[in-house]
Amino acid sequence: MKKMAWLLVLLAAAALLPAGKALVVQVLRTNLLAQPDFLSAGLCSLQKGNRLELLETQGSWYRVRNAGGVKGFVHRSAVVESKVTLSGIAPGPKGASQDELALAAKGFDEGNEKKLRNSKGFNFADLGWVMEQDVALPALSRFLRDGRLK
Amino acid sequence: MKRLLPVALLCALLVSWKPPVSLSKIKKAKKGMELVSGAAHKINEEEEYHIGRAVAANILGQYTLWKNGALTRYVNLVGGALVLRCQRPETYGGYHFALLDTEEANAFSAPGGIIFLTRGIVEMAGDEDELAAVLAHEIQHIVARDPLKAIRSQRLKALGTFTAGEAVGSRGGALGVFQDSVMDISGTLLQKGYSRGQEKNADLGALELLALTGYDPGALRDMLEKIRAVEKKKIKAFSAHPSAARRMAYVAGNAGPAADSNGREARGARFRQALARR
Repeated sequence: MKKMAWLLVLLAAAALLPAGKALVVQVLRTNLLAQPDFLSAGLCSLQKGNRLELLETQGSWYRVRNAGGVKGFVHRSAVVESKVTLSGIAPGPKGASQDELALAAKGFDEGNEKKLRNSKGFNFADLGWVMEQDVALPALSRFLRDGRLK
Repeated sequence: MKRLLPVALLCALLVSWKPPVSLSKIKKAKKGMELVSGAAHKINEEEEYHIGRAVAANILGQYTLWKNGALTRYVNLVGGALVLRCQRPETYGGYHFALLDTEEANAFSAPGGIIFLTRGIVEMAGDEDELAAVLAHEIQHIVARDPLKAIRSQRLKALGTFTAGEAVGSRGGALGVFQDSVMDISGTLLQKGYSRGQEKNADLGALELLALTGYDPGALRDMLEKIRAVEKKKIKAFSAHPSAARRMAYVAGNAGPAADSNGREARGARFRQALARR
């Protein structure tokens, strides 16, 4: 009976502990990685607004769990702490809070960028070419190895 | 036992309860706000991305883009290698590196990580490590969000006073603030330059980043030596930066031990190969 009472006390205490910290992806897209290393295997892709539960911090990396229950790593620069505390797993893959969405609508947005597209002195046509220049991770991995880089 | 239970529950509640915001946190946050410029800390990642695209489009309106696919890909590999080890490897739209077709030796970084190198600076670099030194300096400006700090604080204050209708409206509203902010940043990148403190931090951060990536940190000193030689001839090079002689003074004392020279030579070979594709 005594043991049972203490078990109940412990369960009650656990229920009162703060829930896991919630994080929101703040970049357009990134990967949930198997290891705290960009060159490790990607477990699934993450998109802006996806909610994650913080499990552990390892230096500049967060070990997290996504809405589908997949556990992996994201770099801290890819996420922002959510103002809404999660109680366990978030209900859906998307759903930044209204506060977070409001932050993105202050004037430095796509609408105003589009209005500048025909303005004199701006060359958005060539910018399109620049934004397409990207290197895939396997190629970057080879480049590091061949150049004796870390 | 029955008497113990409420006491234990109360203890658990006290242990788990945290005040919404502690006084020390408020003091720490206030101190942080004083250190960061008012303009920079209020802009989120997505806003930085859109203003960065506009600044980059403005730079491309003044310079001719050098659409050399092979060389641009090589520069993106060198830049990408550095980005993996920097303190801010993820930005909203990612880092992109491109070349400008001008003899002027220069480099610019638009907010969010769109980084331009001129043909002049690429041809001035003696090997991959020197090219990496220039890129590492520019990446450090992105890490520190230096371009955003060029926006005059009055612009963001004005933005906060607009109503929803004005925010999406005309030249006098948020669009005007957006355009003026782009000009603030372009003016700093192309003419005025950053403060000496920002430049020094970018150089010191670049030394660290080069070493972390496996490049020779001494390559920054080698590159500055070349820029100094050009400056002596009164040729336009890094016009919005402090003089190379001034930068060399603190870089030399902080470069650390030289890296594996065989590695630098090996990388030099692929640099020459990439440059031959011009």
